[in-house]
Amino acid sequence: MVDVREDILARLLEVVASIPNIKTAVRGSLDLTPEHLPAALVLDGDEETNDASDLSMRPPNRPTSVQMTPEIILVESEVGEIVDIGTLRRELIKLVLNDTELNENIVKTGRHGNGAIRYLGCQTDVGWMRSLHGALRAQFLFKYTLRPEDL
Amino acid sequence: MRVDFAAMYDDVHAEIGVPAVFTVTNGTDGVVADITVIDDTRPKTLPAGSADVADVAPGAYARIPELTENGITRDDWLNAVLVFNGRNWVVRSYELRGSPNGEDQGEVRFLLRAV
Repeated sequence: MVDVREDILARLLEVVASIPNIKTAVRGSLDLTPEHLPAALVLDGDEETNDASDLSMRPPNRPTSVQMTPEIILVESEVGEIVDIGTLRRELIKLVLNDTELNENIVKTGRHGNGAIRYLGCQTDVGWMRSLHGALRAQFLFKYTLRPEDL
Repeated sequence: MRVDFAAMYDDVHAEIGVPAVFTVTNGTDGVVADITVIDDTRPKTLPAGSADVADVAPGAYARIPELTENGITRDDWLNAVLVFNGRNWVVRSYELRGSPNGEDQGEVRFLLRAV
């Protein structure tokens, strides 16, 4: 069984866990307390294909191209040693876009790989708790080939 | 019968207030006063994308007449250090709570941040 989507998400979790000073790295959890911070969350995000316009005779179990956009949420620490959200963002982008496991083995980017990895952007949240507190939601795009026969 | 609101605030602070040390940091006078505050630390949730961070928003009620008696004016509130219940805070902002006898006879709710 080969599930590229799951491989991408699992590797993303490993990558965000390696961001310097990250205390908590989890997938799918939405509940944080100050003891978890700084934290990185990996959420599955959306996925789409172009198959709605493909009404050819192609059998349904033939490979097709998928674009998935998982979300990564970073939350900075609140008190004590502050790790600011700007530093976390820079490390996130650097680590994801330079990760050879994603580039070469899982997504297979490049001239003959038929994949792509892109940083789409981020949105920020800020507010007062015990201190001024920042969070960031970043999206990446991963294009991969879905092979139903391999699932 | 007229209600003595000042006495009412005093009664409430006598029952549930705690001792606090208020240190002015604006200017150079550095007034230090022993006052009574009511701990009003409230739960607060910060949105972080689809996730939430559950924590608290620290705050404390003080009586404006007590502050005034100690030589602490409104200009002295911001950035003052407030110590109570074993924790140190800085006044980052405040809310006037008003009173039937005028805002100067009422309470102020200090919005606090960690030192």
